[in-house]
Amino acid sequence: CHTSRMPTPKGKELAQNLPREELTHLILKLLQAWKEPLSHFNQHIEHHQELSDDSLSKAKQISNMVHELKTGVEKVTEKARFSINSLNGMASSEAAGLSISNEANLMSDSDFIHCFRRDSNKVQSYLKILKCKIMPENSC
Amino acid sequence: MMQKFISSVQIILLLSWTTVCLFGQSFPGKPKIVRCRSLEKDTFSCWWKPGSDGRLPTNYTLFYSKDSEEKIYECPDYRTSGPNSCYFDKKHTNHRTTYNITVMATNEFGSNSSDPQYVDVTCIVQPDSPVDLSLETKTSAGVTDLWAKWSPPPSAHNSSSWHVYHYELRFKPEEEEKWETVSVGVQTQYKVVKLNAGLKYGVQVRCMLDCGEWSEWSPERQIQIPNGQSPPEKPTIIKCRSPEKETFTCWWKPGLDGGHPTNYTLLYSKEGEEQIYECPDYRTAGPNSCYFDKKHTSFWTIYNITVKATNEMGSNSSDPHYVDVTYIVQPDPPVNVTLELKKPINRKPYLVLTWFPPPLADVRSGWLTLEYELRLKPEEGEEWETIFVGQQTQYKMFSLNPGKKYIVQIHCKPDHHGSWSEWSSEKYIQIPSDYRVKDMIVWIIVGVLSSLICLIMSWTMVLKGYRMIAFILPPVPGPKIKGIDTHLLEAGKSEELLSALGCHGFPPTSDCEELLIEYLEVEDSEDQQLRQSHNNGHPGKNAKMTSKETDSDSGRGSCDSPSLLSEKCRESCTLPSKLPSQDVREIHENNAGKKGWETQCVASSEDKALPFNIAGTKSSTWPAANTHPSTFAYHSTVDAQKITLSTTNVNAAPVLVGNEEKHQSRYSTSETLCEENLEKQREMENMHSKNDQSTIQVNQNKLNEKSSFLNAKIMDYVEVHKVRQDENSAVLLKHKENNGKIEKYTISGNSKEYTKVSTVVDHNILVLMPDPRVQHTPVYQEPAKEMSQTLQQGQVEKNMSYCLPVPSECQREAGGSEYMDPSSFMPSFK
Repeated sequence: CHTSRMPTPKGKELAQNLPREELTHLILKLLQAWKEPLSHFNQHIEHHQELSDDSLSKAKQISNMVHELKTGVEKVTEKARFSINSLNGMASSEAAGLSISNEANLMSDSDFIHCFRRDSNKVQSYLKILKCKIMPENSC
Repeated sequence: MMQKFISSVQIILLLSWTTVCLFGQSFPGKPKIVRCRSLEKDTFSCWWKPGSDGRLPTNYTLFYSKDSEEKIYECPDYRTSGPNSCYFDKKHTNHRTTYNITVMATNEFGSNSSDPQYVDVTCIVQPDSPVDLSLETKTSAGVTDLWAKWSPPPSAHNSSSWHVYHYELRFKPEEEEKWETVSVGVQTQYKVVKLNAGLKYGVQVRCMLDCGEWSEWSPERQIQIPNGQSPPEKPTIIKCRSPEKETFTCWWKPGLDGGHPTNYTLLYSKEGEEQIYECPDYRTAGPNSCYFDKKHTSFWTIYNITVKATNEMGSNSSDPHYVDVTYIVQPDPPVNVTLELKKPINRKPYLVLTWFPPPLADVRSGWLTLEYELRLKPEEGEEWETIFVGQQTQYKMFSLNPGKKYIVQIHCKPDHHGSWSEWSSEKYIQIPSDYRVKDMIVWIIVGVLSSLICLIMSWTMVLKGYRMIAFILPPVPGPKIKGIDTHLLEAGKSEELLSALGCHGFPPTSDCEELLIEYLEVEDSEDQQLRQSHNNGHPGKNAKMTSKETDSDSGRGSCDSPSLLSEKCRESCTLPSKLPSQDVREIHENNAGKKGWETQCVASSEDKALPFNIAGTKSSTWPAANTHPSTFAYHSTVDAQKITLSTTNVNAAPVLVGNEEKHQSRYSTSETLCEENLEKQREMENMHSKNDQSTIQVNQNKLNEKSSFLNAKIMDYVEVHKVRQDENSAVLLKHKENNGKIEKYTISGNSKEYTKVSTVVDHNILVLMPDPRVQHTPVYQEPAKEMSQTLQQGQVEKNMSYCLPVPSECQREAGGSEYMDPSSFMPSFK
């Protein structure tokens, strides 16, 4: 996966030990890294005859969701007033993201999906940890 | 001598012997039962060998008895198993019994029976083979033993309860031919020793009952004797699981160990790394397992796991197994499942189910989010009802049946990829039955009330049954024929009835005629006196009518009544039939400025004939008529009756009375015409009284408004519009064109005034002609003349008189009273 090189905590404790800002940053980085490859993937599969319309629409839906998720997380960070050096971080990640995206384009479809599945799980877990850190009262 | 004697004796003996030999017949020899065998299951056969048959045809019969019973049976089947045999089929084969069999040979001379043979069926039936033969090799200390185990044949009859099976086992190496047989005894397992390692052996086993035969050999089982030299077989990894998304465990299944003690090692590597690690913990999770603790567990990385089996001879590795821990999470079932029955006020009690996530799962930090699902069913029920609950840890159940016992279970699953946990232990709920006193009271009250109502209903039915029935099911009204008084009919007073119809006497007598003629004579001013007389007569008649008024209101056969007049007046009205012509003539002669009649009381020979009234518009014209005696629009009997009535009701209609005289002729005529309708006129009187107001008003109006017209002919004759050929053959008169309103019938120059009956056509049609005397209609004079001429010719066809019936509607409008309502006539004559 193109995001494998990103240093992400691979365990619960590791994730929990991360400060919130870093975690958020990480999430955003991940989401950013997938933005470009997803759109590219959507273009790519549109030409596939064997895929049903449902699959195509789902894929589009997913890329939209990723985008919305990223926007949402950014909003959350604003509201929580995290002092993330987001601008810097994002800038650098942008560059990194581009290079990564190029890599992503080379992956096969099944690998792509596999990597995406994993990374979305990662993002989900991090977000949940983040949520319970920020708002511990809701079902945490 | 002696020699001779001896020789003769010998000869004799020889002869007799020969004879005997030639013709030697004696009773048969003793048969012998050879054997009894069971060829198939649940059947057996016995064979015997016959003895000498004594040279005579011999019958063999087999008798048997069971156990110690007295009863003797005969062989059921002599044929199936061949000659000299007896076949016992399923029905006759009882496994638990001992048969005592004898065969008897019979011929002419006598019979001879064999010795009895006792046959225990169980012993002669071949048993089934043993089943479930399994082989196992156990190697210890370099020595490999083969253990064979089996089960006795399934005995359906339990006949072998006191019979014991003996077993025999045989084995041989695969390649060889010769079996080595071992007698096992009564046990169902055996250890075969001294087997050559490395060879494949086949094993069979059979059994026998102590008194019976050997069964067939069981199917062969083969086994490979492990060679002490071989490496172990490849193990297989069964599964890997993580209970809380922090650690995980893998289990494997070993293969054959190849005769030597085998070691198993688990080796893994992570994705992206080349290094291979060994399982950190073989023990915690039990034999043939590997436990990865927190430190060694990484998420979002794929593990490549293999198990290696090693023994002295070598090693063997399993296939690699790839695992990402994120996706193999299977939590433990929820714990602390508690039930609480809550009983809110005024509401049904409900159940609150609460539970806790499994202790290991770290839900608090959000690392693992669980979703729950519960299922419940009534205790006796079969199907579970599964309810997905989501992430909450409590659930309210409202829809449970009181009094029943339910079983509840919960399980959980990670919200993302993962698998469901096991179901929690069963929890029983007993719903308390909901017996509220209030409900019962309500039901009791309802029951009492309904029973009361039923009682009341039945009482009313009983007391006022008929009325109720009449109320519910109103009686069907009988047909009311106008002019016929049903009561009179029933009473049988035909005379009265007929008189009611105005026909005095039946058949009509000359009286009728006279009267009619009388009336005819009355005309104009000349006849005013007559009219008056008639008028006087009228009251009398009216009085009569009044007197008769008390009669039923039906069937006043007047010209007005469409019905019956025809019937009753059929003959009595023959005169009237003549009337038109006469009348017209007379009118014509009189030149009184009167208008001819329009109305004739016509009784057709047909039943349909109904009194008709040629009418212009009814009351409207009538007022005109009233004001102008000369102008007389006689629309209908209604009108006539009105007029009649007016004659009688002096008080009621002064205006009318005024013209009465003039119209006497009319009235009278009408009356004569409708002599039958005296009663009817009475009716009209009554009706008229109703309509007095309107008519009077109209009259008055007419008088006021149309005074100028009054002198002129006001008669408003309505053109014959059409003749209704239906039952009430009615002549509908067209409304005058110039008159926009019904009420107003102003006589204009354009209007034709048909005042006289011109002719009668077709039995149904009355052709009217305008009054030739009417001066302001000179136009029509000619036709009138013509018509009058034709009339004068007296064309009355067929003695048919027609009564133009009052349109039925009008009658109806009278409300069923059969009084014609003049006002109601108005629209009909449009």
